[in-house]
Amino acid sequence: MSDPTYRAGFDAALETAINTALQYDPATRTRLQALDGTVMALDLSAPTLQCCLCIEGDQVRVRQHWAGDVTTSIRCSAISLVRLLKDSDATPAALGVSISGSSALLAELQWIMSDLDIDWEAPLAQLFGDIPAHSIGNALRSAGSWLSASLSRAPVAAAETISEEWQLTPPQAQFEAFADDLSELSLATERLEARVRLLQAQFSRGEAE
Amino acid sequence: MKDRKTTHFGYQEVPVEEKAGRVAEVFHSVAARYDVMNDLMSGGIHRLWKRFTIELSGARPGQKILDIAGGTGDLTARFSRIVGASGQVVLADINESMLRVGRDRLLDRGIAGNVVPVQADAQYLPFPDNTFDCITIAFGLRNVTDKDLALRSMLRVLKPGGRLLVLEFSKPESKLLEKVYDQYSFRLLPFMGKLVADDAESYRYLAESIRMHPDQETLKQMMADAGFVDCEFHNMTGGIVALHRGIKP
Repeated sequence: MSDPTYRAGFDAALETAINTALQYDPATRTRLQALDGTVMALDLSAPTLQCCLCIEGDQVRVRQHWAGDVTTSIRCSAISLVRLLKDSDATPAALGVSISGSSALLAELQWIMSDLDIDWEAPLAQLFGDIPAHSIGNALRSAGSWLSASLSRAPVAAAETISEEWQLTPPQAQFEAFADDLSELSLATERLEARVRLLQAQFSRGEAE
Repeated sequence: MKDRKTTHFGYQEVPVEEKAGRVAEVFHSVAARYDVMNDLMSGGIHRLWKRFTIELSGARPGQKILDIAGGTGDLTARFSRIVGASGQVVLADINESMLRVGRDRLLDRGIAGNVVPVQADAQYLPFPDNTFDCITIAFGLRNVTDKDLALRSMLRVLKPGGRLLVLEFSKPESKLLEKVYDQYSFRLLPFMGKLVADDAESYRYLAESIRMHPDQETLKQMMADAGFVDCEFHNMTGGIVALHRGIKP
């Protein structure tokens, strides 16, 4: 059995991260308060992790062991859980998420997560003041949108580099034209074969008569 | 004089009736800087040990918890949140200075209503039989003069099915870790005590009292002898600390 100190450290770090983020979204904290006393048990695969998220006031406690009542139990992969919580239209069945207990808590958390709006500028403002924090925030937002646009263009750009610059593969248009020609040739060959077979049959019948 | 019963106070042998007074002197001396020193000495890991203790306590809303040797109220604060307004946490400590620091600190943090501070000796707990759902004693048992008497007293005040959790320094599992730990305890610890709390002696006592405390298996047997069942222990940080748990049948 692994040393419980490590697991306690992981839970403490996760709990601190969640509650620190919540500190900068007062609206979400208020909504969480309405869920005070509810407990969500998670049994995650990939990575394997069992824990309970206990909502106490406007804070979330992460516990490995919980002897009290559990409001909702969820069993799924970590990615499915993230997708489920991020997309309020996602359904558990489509993502392979198994739920027992009350599904109302999950629906409420989905709703809260979809409206999550953490004011990341607030901790920066505490460190550097309002104006520098806003400038840093703008710079980070620009960098974020550039990164997001770059990542969405990345597959197309990579394909162009491989075919056009390095010439390791033919360009897509050339490949598609080649594939069309090949397909046409294949069909023409099949038609010719059929025609020859037909002529052979006619010729055989003529000889017999 | 020859027949006078003695017990250990760190590495010294002292008359039984003197130990409580000498332990009290140590804690009067360190009370004001107790939390700072705990963080410094353990690198903050004592918070993780206590976190695991809370989890294994199985505490639930509405329950009654006794936090013996509760000192500055670390565990009490966490239990107070869990048991809620319908439950109760008794913060008990034999040492008036520690109890006062704990009580004031809890009040300053807005923790009140379901917390009752009580000055009490773990050997003679001033509560009726079958009172508590759970008892914890964190880093306190090694300072108790008669540990067997204290364990029996805890068994008495626990409800049937209630749990006792003893969090205490213990014996490292690896020889190498034990050597490093010895160097740390007997050289660095008194030095830090001198530097931060201006009290090297109290921290030397801390190191000595840890070495004199029963190891994991011995304490488990002591709990079973006192009448607890399903006794088990969990080593933490390589056995530097162990959490023992027993159930009252």
